[in-house]
Amino acid sequence: MPILETQNLTYVYGEGTPFRIEALKNVNISIEKGELVGVIGHTGSGKSTLMQHLNGLLKPTSGKVLLGGEDIHASKEATRAARFRVGLCFQYPEYQLFESTVYKDIAFGPRNMGLNETEIRERVQRAAEFLEIRSDWMDKSPFDLSGGEKRRVAIAGVMAMQPEILILDEPTAGLDPRGRDRITDMICKYGLSTGSTVLVVSHSMDDVASFASRILVMDHGQNVLGGTVDEVFRQVDKLVSMGLDVPQLTKIFLRLQASGVSVRTDIYTLAQAKRELLRLFFEKGGTA
Amino acid sequence: MIKDITIGQYFPGNSLVHKLDPRAKLVLTFVYILLIFLCKNFVSLGILVAYLLVSVLLSRISVRMILKSLKPIVILVCITSVLQIFYNSDGTVLWELGKFKLTTGGVFMALFTTVRIIALVTASALLTYTTSPTLLTDAIERLFSPLKRVHINVHSIAMMMTIALRFIPTLIDEVDKIMSAQKARGADLDTGGIVQRGKALIPVFVPLFVSAFTRAYDLAFAMECRCYRGGEGRTRLRVMRLRARDYIVFLVTAVCVAGIAVANRLLPAVI
Ligand SMILES: Nc1ncnc2c1ncn2[C@@H]1O[C@H](COP(=O)(O)OP(=O)(O)OP(=O)(O)O)[C@@H](O)[C@H]1O
Ligand SMILES: [Mg+2]
Repeated sequence: MPILETQNLTYVYGEGTPFRIEALKNVNISIEKGELVGVIGHTGSGKSTLMQHLNGLLKPTSGKVLLGGEDIHASKEATRAARFRVGLCFQYPEYQLFESTVYKDIAFGPRNMGLNETEIRERVQRAAEFLEIRSDWMDKSPFDLSGGEKRRVAIAGVMAMQPEILILDEPTAGLDPRGRDRITDMICKYGLSTGSTVLVVSHSMDDVASFASRILVMDHGQNVLGGTVDEVFRQVDKLVSMGLDVPQLTKIFLRLQASGVSVRTDIYTLAQAKRELLRLFFEKGGTA
Repeated sequence: MIKDITIGQYFPGNSLVHKLDPRAKLVLTFVYILLIFLCKNFVSLGILVAYLLVSVLLSRISVRMILKSLKPIVILVCITSVLQIFYNSDGTVLWELGKFKLTTGGVFMALFTTVRIIALVTASALLTYTTSPTLLTDAIERLFSPLKRVHINVHSIAMMMTIALRFIPTLIDEVDKIMSAQKARGADLDTGGIVQRGKALIPVFVPLFVSAFTRAYDLAFAMECRCYRGGEGRTRLRVMRLRARDYIVFLVTAVCVAGIAVANRLLPAVI
């Protein structure tokens, strides 16, 4: 049974006003335990709206969100429980920092869960480790950190709640390439070492290709594609027509093929590219 | 939710009411509100209601939006009507219970007050629904520009109003976003007593103020970079000019005012 599932999820912003927008139309997704899911789609395709449904922040206009097979809007208690079981980290989460010290801010979520001090301390420590937050920051004001550092603290704040499902909405937006890689690595490590289910919304095809075990594609409020990295990125034309793209590396190999070199084009990560190029190299008679 | 606040909101459109000169609209709304206070009987009130109904129809703003703007005053209207009904003992008695008397005078009075409050709110809502905040403050600046003579900096005040109005939706959006983010971290914003709720708002207000101040500094820098130095010698992108339609509306309004004056003078007053 999938751990998280939506059934005919539809959501309308501003119902009954002249600004009515149908942000989600009949979305059916299902996510298995332990998956690392990448969610892609053009700006305004409804990714953030969908994510806010998964922990019960938004209530579907019609349709259902099932967590472990149960409707998360079945009762008030169920909704509140869902908030803790599904951790959601918003786009630009650094704007949610408010406490006087980094430690207190990361501890805000666990404290709301009603845990005791030792448990809170342990969880904060663990989350800080994943995000490589130095221990001398803990007593600093979060407002004295740089943007990227704030981002990590904010993500740690959600991770410290140790949700079964962690959702991150564009965790790398607005960071430099190095910062992006680091955060992506940290999230990967978290997912693999805790066995949690992780959903990451991203605009970077390269990032998604590097960590996701499955990809969901949103387009105009609908879930139009879904599958493994290979199944999704194979459909180059479809992706391009939706204003999306394939990873940079894949583009290189597509070009190579177009110019007559016989290479595979299902290349999405650096490791795959290296292997394919070496194969080509030796095939053409090169030596190491 | 916080998004349901409609007062002060602007719905772009292309109707006659939208296209009227904002200064004219502002003055007309002011005159209208004055008339609501001056009208004394049901005939003059009837003229005012008819005037408003025609304006609403011409504006093509849906009745639903108008009703929405009335939502916050429902309680006020109920309380005043109840008070009017029982504190006025003129006219014939309709129903009696001990000390309380329900009289025709009371019922009329309650009805009169209710219609007046509703007309007042609808008229102001119509003004903001059909006039963009920028045009509105522009109009205010123009109308009050004579005050420059007495060294009141009308331009700065108008600019501050424009900026404040411009940022209301932005800040509402921001509050919405921050509230969702904190709720996602398990903050309980909707339950508990007053003290508890007040405390629960700290995680919302701290980030809100931080970002509001950042925005304010950014905006100030951006304005200075574009050589903004206040109102002295600035020309306008949109020059406001009264057109035929404005004069026609003035004429219609003048006729209504005359009608109300006559009705007030000739017919007996309700109040
Ligand atoms: N609070 C809101 N009120 C009204 N409409 C909204 C609101 N939030 C989003 N929308 C609209 O819903 C649609 C989907 O928005 P959403 O934020 O889910 O897109 P997104 O895929 O996350 O985009 P991005 O990649 O830019 O973050 C958009 O058309 C947007 O204009
Ligand atoms: Mg988004």
